[in-house]
Amino acid sequence: MTLIHVPRPDVKSVMNPNRPVNALLKAQVQHLHAAERNLPVRRRTDIYVNAIKTEGEAAEYIRRVTEAIHEAHEAAAAKRGRGIAIAAAAEGSGDKAPSASRGKKMSKGKRARKT
Amino acid sequence: MPPGLDNLRHIVVLMMENRSFDHMLGSLTAVDPRIDGVTDQLSNPDTTGALVKPQPLAQFQGQLDPDPDHHFPAVDLQIFGGDTSPTRVANMQGFVKSYFNQQQDVGHSQKIMYYFTEQQLPVLTTLALEFAVFNRWFASIPGPTICNRAFAHYGTSFGRVDMNLLYLNEPFKSIYDRLINANPKHTAKLYYYDTTSSTMEITNLLETQSELFGTYPQFLTDCSTGNLPDYSFIEPNFNDHDSDSGEEVASDQHPDHNIQAGELFIASVYKAIKASPLWPNTALLVVYDEHGGIYDHVVPPACTPDQFTASANDTGTGQPFAFDRLGVRVPAILISPWIPKGTVVDGRVFDHASIPATITKFFLGDYWPRSPRETSADVFIEPNVAPVDPTRNLLSLAGMRDDCPDFDV
Repeated sequence: MTLIHVPRPDVKSVMNPNRPVNALLKAQVQHLHAAERNLPVRRRTDIYVNAIKTEGEAAEYIRRVTEAIHEAHEAAAAKRGRGIAIAAAAEGSGDKAPSASRGKKMSKGKRARKT
Repeated sequence: MPPGLDNLRHIVVLMMENRSFDHMLGSLTAVDPRIDGVTDQLSNPDTTGALVKPQPLAQFQGQLDPDPDHHFPAVDLQIFGGDTSPTRVANMQGFVKSYFNQQQDVGHSQKIMYYFTEQQLPVLTTLALEFAVFNRWFASIPGPTICNRAFAHYGTSFGRVDMNLLYLNEPFKSIYDRLINANPKHTAKLYYYDTTSSTMEITNLLETQSELFGTYPQFLTDCSTGNLPDYSFIEPNFNDHDSDSGEEVASDQHPDHNIQAGELFIASVYKAIKASPLWPNTALLVVYDEHGGIYDHVVPPACTPDQFTASANDTGTGQPFAFDRLGVRVPAILISPWIPKGTVVDGRVFDHASIPATITKFFLGDYWPRSPRETSADVFIEPNVAPVDPTRNLLSLAGMRDDCPDFDV
């Protein structure tokens, strides 16, 4: 078994968050900006994407939108879970409340309106 | 049944950024003549008419600035040398001319012909020499990143040759959708580096199915705990940024990002899989999305047309494009302890549509609908279903290797 040495770049000399964004990062910012428009208003950033000029600025915007997307999904999943739990409890108590499957559909309908 | 295929449970794809085969692996022809890299016979004319040969003078950073143009019209010039006639023939003679267009500097334009030595890239060249290197793996489109990466996820770019968004409700599902909605259900994950790098070109999937995504630290944990999904797609870090763990240098190798940072990243992915209990059951493909405007000498071949056509307006060349020829050649290496050392895959043509084609065929078998480009793409791993053609099975060893290299990362 051979152990191969891998040289490490000097992070201090190669790190440059002030580097102008390349076309790829510009496209990524635009893609996430399109996704951001579908987020609930309270989860959107107040960043003007056309003013993003450096990798560091792009990175900050990308982080905030990616986190917001995940948080929005988690919130929706939690709401869905609560709907299922409420419906299941009602069914278990013998009430004529919506069934678990109906609860699911209602939850989905709510999400659809939000987006 | 070949034991390598019989044991295979997980396929991992790591897709790097914007480097051509000759630029990264061209030096290996001197080590193994079966590898189709750089020779003394190759050249490109510069704008004075002088012939510029490939030279082993590539630098890790600071040399390819500005980023070489690799949008559709520029790649058309690189491949056809500037000939726009109806009877033109691809000749790979326009790379220096194309780079000259960006700065009007003859000396600087010649750097597009530079390549790395074997010693400069100890990770990539070691993996290429130790496992299976592909002589004919091409970008799917003679164009930029987004549409090329789309082929790896969807088997098509839905008619796009640019960096525009991919939209939902297209006729073909992503490989992730196919796997997680299959019966029996399969598992798939796209690991992006971290939230500050995020995912590159399938924002629509992130928007609607964020559970498909994980970060690179999660990939490392999934390796060490033996919990890799059936299919994993890994993205490198696309930008320089600060994180809780310190300064994160871009590892995608996109010009003008640091090449050595990418080498470290490739080594860390390999090391995580090799140290995993799943090493006997995993194959890793390391591949680059497109050539980034950098010289390669192999003419991209024709291919089955897709069912989409990009308009003359969209291509920017004055001619429509039927997706009936491939993009420029890129490095591609398949890694598994069941692959014989020094395997060179020759005489077969692959492109990024081979990725969903392989994953679908291996895990799902028949699947419909898929794009014409994907259904006609060659697969790099055959399913473990008899009869297995021994000439096409790369995981061909009767016993697992115990001499696979290690990297000190």
